[in-house]
Amino acid sequence: MSASLDKGVAVLKEMIDAPIASYFESCVHCGLCAEACLFYTETGDPKYTPIHKLEPLRRIYEQEYTLLGRLAKLVGLSKPVTDDELEAWKELVYNSCTLCARCSLVCPVGNDIVYMVRKFREGMAVSGHAPDGLIGAVTRTIEIGSPMGVKLPAVQAQMKHVQDETGIEIPMDKEGAEYMVMLSSMEIMNFPEYLGAIAKIMKQAGKTWTLCSTAFEATNAGIQIGVSDLAKVIVNRIVEGAERLKVKTVISPECGHAYTALRWDGANLIGRPYTFKVLHILEVLDEFRSQGLLKTEGFETTRMTFHDPCQLGRRGGVVEQPRNLMNMVTKDFVEMDDPGKYNWCCGGGGGVSANEEAEELRLEVFKIKKRQLENVGAKTMVTACANCRIVLEEGLEHYQMDIPVVGLTELIAEHLAPDK
Amino acid sequence: MSRRPTVAEQLARQGVSRRAFLKFCAAAASLMALPPSMAPAIAEALGKLRRPSVIWLSFQECTGCTESLTRSHTPTVESLIFDMISLDYHHTLQAAAGTAAEQAREDAMKEAGYLVLVDGSIPTRDGGIYSTIAGVTNLQMLKDALANAAAVVSIGTCAAYGGIPKADPNPTGAKSVQALMDEGLVPRKPVINVPGCPPIPTVITGVLAHYLTFGEIPELDSLGRPTMFYGDSIHDRCYRRPFYDQGMFAKTFDDEGARKGWCLFELGCKGPTTHNACATTKWNNGTSFPIESGHGCIGCSEPDFWDAGSFYTALSAPADPLTLATSATVAGAAIGVGMSFVNRAKKGAAKSGHETATLKDLEK
Repeated sequence: MSASLDKGVAVLKEMIDAPIASYFESCVHCGLCAEACLFYTETGDPKYTPIHKLEPLRRIYEQEYTLLGRLAKLVGLSKPVTDDELEAWKELVYNSCTLCARCSLVCPVGNDIVYMVRKFREGMAVSGHAPDGLIGAVTRTIEIGSPMGVKLPAVQAQMKHVQDETGIEIPMDKEGAEYMVMLSSMEIMNFPEYLGAIAKIMKQAGKTWTLCSTAFEATNAGIQIGVSDLAKVIVNRIVEGAERLKVKTVISPECGHAYTALRWDGANLIGRPYTFKVLHILEVLDEFRSQGLLKTEGFETTRMTFHDPCQLGRRGGVVEQPRNLMNMVTKDFVEMDDPGKYNWCCGGGGGVSANEEAEELRLEVFKIKKRQLENVGAKTMVTACANCRIVLEEGLEHYQMDIPVVGLTELIAEHLAPDK
Repeated sequence: MSRRPTVAEQLARQGVSRRAFLKFCAAAASLMALPPSMAPAIAEALGKLRRPSVIWLSFQECTGCTESLTRSHTPTVESLIFDMISLDYHHTLQAAAGTAAEQAREDAMKEAGYLVLVDGSIPTRDGGIYSTIAGVTNLQMLKDALANAAAVVSIGTCAAYGGIPKADPNPTGAKSVQALMDEGLVPRKPVINVPGCPPIPTVITGVLAHYLTFGEIPELDSLGRPTMFYGDSIHDRCYRRPFYDQGMFAKTFDDEGARKGWCLFELGCKGPTTHNACATTKWNNGTSFPIESGHGCIGCSEPDFWDAGSFYTALSAPADPLTLATSATVAGAAIGVGMSFVNRAKKGAAKSGHETATLKDLEK
């Protein structure tokens, strides 16, 4: 138990880089990021203005790296950052930011605000100001292997269950397979349909694939809590597993931040390029579709809408693929306002859903999703992130809305044309 | 004179060879920025031309424009152009004097379609009595001359914009030809302004050659000047422009910068706001132009140049703040570089002091 303010400040000094310096210098205080943040629009409280969530980091930048800031600190005009202050900022940095990056998208001077929040969390975590829920999740991931404490036997039990149900063998540790399929704990525990869907789709497409006994868990709580050293340990497991099995492509499951961690952050964390490709399952499915390897029949007739997971759409650029897939199997597909890269977050990303302290606020800001759904009158919600899915289900239940939430991969699998 | 001879006949009579004439046409074409293929067309047009009658009226002026013309450097060009027109009245150049001279003017005005060249501004105060020729005011003489004229060329800044006679306090109420037309004091005719104090001789003859060849007014800018000669500023065409771009300025007329031929902007050069062909055509047989002789442009081909402040005051940005800005920039850059080294060291120390975070580091 060695977290301390000094450690946090030292890490923040290390984290402040040229992009952060230029972002702080170029902020024109226009406040557009507030209007882009669901925590501000749904509460009206100006403390949730995204750039304000970085105030202690900005002060450290000024006091350590600018001439005027140093002078101000010297004569006592600029107060040093204290433990109490960081504790007060915990709510803003962890509870009211889902790392959705809508603020980064709208910033007129191009400040990547979410990049700064992510870096600020590095200092917050090692100074002892991370929420307990996230500390628990990252501890379980490091010590047990999964944020929900799922171990290999639980995966094997689900494999057997899916095998019995579908009659398709679920491969494990098959060297030289084309695809290595990752799962998130939620898919193992709450949505086992996903694994069955993958088995059916891969069989139809005629592709070889495998699970990995040392790297089945795709989520990365180290990214969410904001400790790169821990995130690196978690990514390394997947890299080692994939390289051991010599697979060509690792498929990120229906999970937003797992995709970000593996696709965008991973190689930077381990400091070298991968020997394999990383794709989100929707990218793979759309690839199959365009190659004629994905054949479906029949259409859903109820009105359906698609919720873009922030890490997938806005951060990952996977926007067209889900639309292509939705149109394969639905007749009445409607878009909510601001679809694609401008989507509104479910309210539970970036570790917020693992953070009990944030629950009340999370349900409060779910009002934006509720309004969006009511506006289009959708009867079913489709998404491609297990975390979005559970947060949406909880929100809909809280507001007593009878709208089921399904994963897009499962929806596709339900409409697979039977083998001839 | 029953029939005016053509230009070709006239030239032959004067012993000018066809070859010399063609050389002139080629020179004229290049002067007007026309393609070389136009030279024969000019030769043909000019050769067949019955020499048009030209009346040159000198009003409130210093005769500098005529001096400029007669000191012209390419003799063939200027002399030939005068062989091509029938200069029926020019009170400085003509041999006749007194009644005979005025008679020549009146005779020339009987046949419509002649060209009027004016140098000097026209006084209008007190009935225009401040300048008269043979008892006739300049205003009246211009009025009569314009009645049957095809067009008028205002030679020099005085005729074009009022020039020095119009300079504050303008005791004679001097006005330009264009201004008189705008006020309805003289008949309205097409006007070509050829300003300059004086204008470049080849520019004067070039404008005439263009008019005679094409029978129409050349393209003019908003101040009535032919764009072929007045389209660029002196500054844009100045051979010292690279020094301006690098911020290398002469501070006095005898400092090192002046000796090295640096930009004269800070010594009041008006090149940036003056449109004329001096920097390309040059003066005195193509020898040089004022800036090349070490003096800034005084802006003589622009309206009201005499009242536009001292010739030796810079157009903008006086020298002192420039120095201040430079030193401030240098000081700022030095501080910036210093800061960057300090910051690098600090960030480097933070980086090398990095202890890999473990689960233990998450709680106090």
